Amino acid sequence: MEKIKFVIDGKEVEAIRDQCVLDVARQNGIYIPGLCYNPEVKFSGGSCRLCLVEAHQAGRMSLVTACNYPIREGLEIKTDTSLVKRIRKGIIELLLARVPDSDVIKELAAEAGIDEPRFVKDEGENYHSKCIACGLCIQVCEEVVGVSAIAMLNRGPDKTPGTPYKKPSEVCIGCGACAYACPTDAIPMEDNGDTRKIWGREFKMHLCSVCGKPYIPEAQIDWIVKTTGKDRVFFDKCPDCR
Amino acid sequence: MEHTKISTIEGLNKYREKILESKKNELPTVFVCGGTPCLAKGSRQVFEAFKKEFGAQGLTGSVELGIKTTGCQGFCNKGPLVAFADKDIVYMGVKPEHVPEIIEKTVKKGEVIESLGYRDPQTKKWATEYSRIPFYGHQKKLVLKDVGQLDPAKIDDYISRGGYSALAKAFSMNPDTIIDNIEQSGLRGRGGGGFPTGRKWRSCKAIKTDVRYVICNGDEGDPGAFMDRSIMEGNPHAIIEGMIIGAYAVGSNQGYAYIRDEYPLAIENMKTAIEDARGLGLLGKNILGSNFDFDIKISRGGGAFVCGESSALMRSIGGNVGEPRAKYIRSVEKGLYDKPTVLNNVETWANVPLIITGGVQGYRKVGTKGSPGTKVFSLAGKVVNTGLVEVPMGITLRELVFDIGGGIPKGKKFKAVQTGGPSGGCIPESLLDLQIDFDSLSDAGSMMGSGGIIVMDEDTCMVDVAKYFITFLVGESCGKCTPCREGLRRMLDILTGITEGRGKQGDIELLEELCDVLKWGALCALGTSAANPVLSTIRYFRDEYEAHIKEKRCPAGVCKELITYRIDEDKCTGCTVCAKKCPQKCISGEKKKPHTIDASKCIKCGVCKTVCPFDAVIVE
Ligand SMILES: Cc1cc2nc3c(=O)[nH]c(=O)nc-3n(C[C@H](O)[C@H](O)[C@H](O)COP(=O)(O)O)c2cc1C
Ligand code: SF4
Ligand code: FES
Repeated sequence: MEKIKFVIDGKEVEAIRDQCVLDVARQNGIYIPGLCYNPEVKFSGGSCRLCLVEAHQAGRMSLVTACNYPIREGLEIKTDTSLVKRIRKGIIELLLARVPDSDVIKELAAEAGIDEPRFVKDEGENYHSKCIACGLCIQVCEEVVGVSAIAMLNRGPDKTPGTPYKKPSEVCIGCGACAYACPTDAIPMEDNGDTRKIWGREFKMHLCSVCGKPYIPEAQIDWIVKTTGKDRVFFDKCPDCR
Repeated sequence: MEHTKISTIEGLNKYREKILESKKNELPTVFVCGGTPCLAKGSRQVFEAFKKEFGAQGLTGSVELGIKTTGCQGFCNKGPLVAFADKDIVYMGVKPEHVPEIIEKTVKKGEVIESLGYRDPQTKKWATEYSRIPFYGHQKKLVLKDVGQLDPAKIDDYISRGGYSALAKAFSMNPDTIIDNIEQSGLRGRGGGGFPTGRKWRSCKAIKTDVRYVICNGDEGDPGAFMDRSIMEGNPHAIIEGMIIGAYAVGSNQGYAYIRDEYPLAIENMKTAIEDARGLGLLGKNILGSNFDFDIKISRGGGAFVCGESSALMRSIGGNVGEPRAKYIRSVEKGLYDKPTVLNNVETWANVPLIITGGVQGYRKVGTKGSPGTKVFSLAGKVVNTGLVEVPMGITLRELVFDIGGGIPKGKKFKAVQTGGPSGGCIPESLLDLQIDFDSLSDAGSMMGSGGIIVMDEDTCMVDVAKYFITFLVGESCGKCTPCREGLRRMLDILTGITEGRGKQGDIELLEELCDVLKWGALCALGTSAANPVLSTIRYFRDEYEAHIKEKRCPAGVCKELITYRIDEDKCTGCTVCAKKCPQKCISGEKKKPHTIDASKCIKCGVCKTVCPFDAVIVE
């Protein structure tokens, strides 16, 4: 892997060619906000637009998303200019009007100096809970879990993740990866005794044979056994008791 | 003609000579326009009438050859149009009953029937020659030259008019020389962005790879636009020839033509053309003995406007949802199936053979220094002549609207011209002498786009226009990125408020702020250019916004919530027509005495204004 140097906020930093700006910035302790990107998920990023930074290359400046902008020779990144702050603030205000209940967004708004959005807050029919429609849940389910139980329903302003036709999904294994990955904690998942509720379906949980803790949905065990050929006995004990 | 594979350039020349020889003794071919607007006006019946009449007159031998349905001939509002091979004659508004006379006089003897020509509304003089009809006279037909002059379903027609000779010439050139030529010609992408085509090809070629693709973008999602459709329907071989040349230049063996599903005739004609080219060996293995293999597949577009965007289009061909993908590695490097890909627009591809045939200097004779060549536009809206036009770059908007378009109908005043499709901008009267080229239009806050031109008259409300385009864009936004998904609907809320009398101080500034966020922050060009309709109307028609917001008044009398209907007492004769037609029954008055409208019941449907014979209804 080819190592190259580039400049970020005036500092010369080393990176691997085509590595994304956000990863390297974070490794170097430079803060850039960003919600829809997860380094473990290949196709994530590019949607929330919170990680916009100035990229200066070949005498030209453009505003780019740090989470997928590839580092190449001669690149200079500025993360804290007035342009970056202005556009970021505009995006945060739009998100705040969409999901006024989200703590994550409220925090970003406070940081940017926004008290109240100048737009009518989405509520009633327009209520989005805390979902910013970034699509990370869908990518995780497809790419990491390999199940594709959820997809984007509708498009444009009505875009929202969900199970097909909003009916309980038959392929969902109840693993909850989507809920763990969600940057705004918008996916309701209820663990109650030996049942788990997610996406409108109830899953029976498997109990650890040692400590008795419900720790994994039966459906997930079935899935793992089916796709990897792992011995079912392996799941008798929870990771803590193994 | 019998179709056997042609395996050499010489073979192609011989084949062409044979076609020309066999056509020598034919009657001049009659072209009945088969473009969609003409079909709607009954051109099929005209076509059938020609066929029948040829049969009845015993001219059977030339029936099939003598009649050809053609692609769009351009002057759509005067259809059905009829033209004749290699004759400077065009007839308009042709009906089946005109056919016997046309055959008798024009086909057999070459005589002109004046009364089927164009009648100048001012001079009342008739003209049947293209050059004397202003609509055609100011145009420069290069890309559209053969559209309407050949049968798109017959490859022999294309070849007989010199088709595929550019390809033959290209095969005698070094692929890099071809790229040099395209670069020096100054050809810029006709799909909207105006990116230099030669530079795109060169960057693609520079990437080391086993596979490269070339793609033709025939998605044409702009509402009301039909430039690309007309070329695909009317002269598909020009596109195919351009693609083969491009593929040969960059070293690609597989092409795709992405055509929107709503264009069945374009798909059919492209398909036939591809099959015929394959049949003659112009597609496939070892084309014309060049050792170069290339073929084209058709891919049907899903229909959404955003599918025309390059990364969405490539995802769509690859079998995924046609949604833009955020990526900064350009498609010339990593495009379709992650392979280096050249994507060009239909019209761009159709320009390529012209450059190879005419040479760089020849090509640059037309157009401006920064934007050489011609551009095809679809002219629509409040303009006398609507239809498809091809003009040299650098012509002014005034020439386009007033000379070619014939000005504004019904003696109304010109207000603005909208260019660039839904995310283009509105240009006011003060800029009518602006040159049409990529850079001038962008500088004016609009863009070339793919070539939609909508003319607006004094009865147009510019806030309403902005609202109309933003409504369209809200519906077409894919919803992937925050600025476009959230910003556009907030803009629409504000614009709706302004047009409904709820506009507030600060609305214009908030709109400008949102435009700023979209322009800098959106993921794809749909979002980044979506600010244009709002910014350009604010820039040139700010007073109209202010009238709506401050005075709650719509100067153009369009926004229903802001207007009232009233009857002018001096003009009203008390004829009672309006009172009878009013659906709300809210107009009252005695016969022969001035009437009045009860504003509290009026729903502002405008029926009274339409029916009043004395122009007594006033909208304020
Ligand atoms: C929302 C959107 C829609 C587009 N639609 C089209 C289209 O219908 N046809 C087209 O040729 N280009 C369209 N484009 C432009 C393409 O992305 C691309 O730039 C073009 O096809 C490149 O070809 P060119 O350089 O020959 O113009 C669109 C772009 C955007 C952002
Ligand atoms: S700008 Fe609009 S159309 Fe383009 S990716 Fe963002 S949401 Fe989709
Ligand atoms: S984190 Fe980069 S766009 Fe969301």
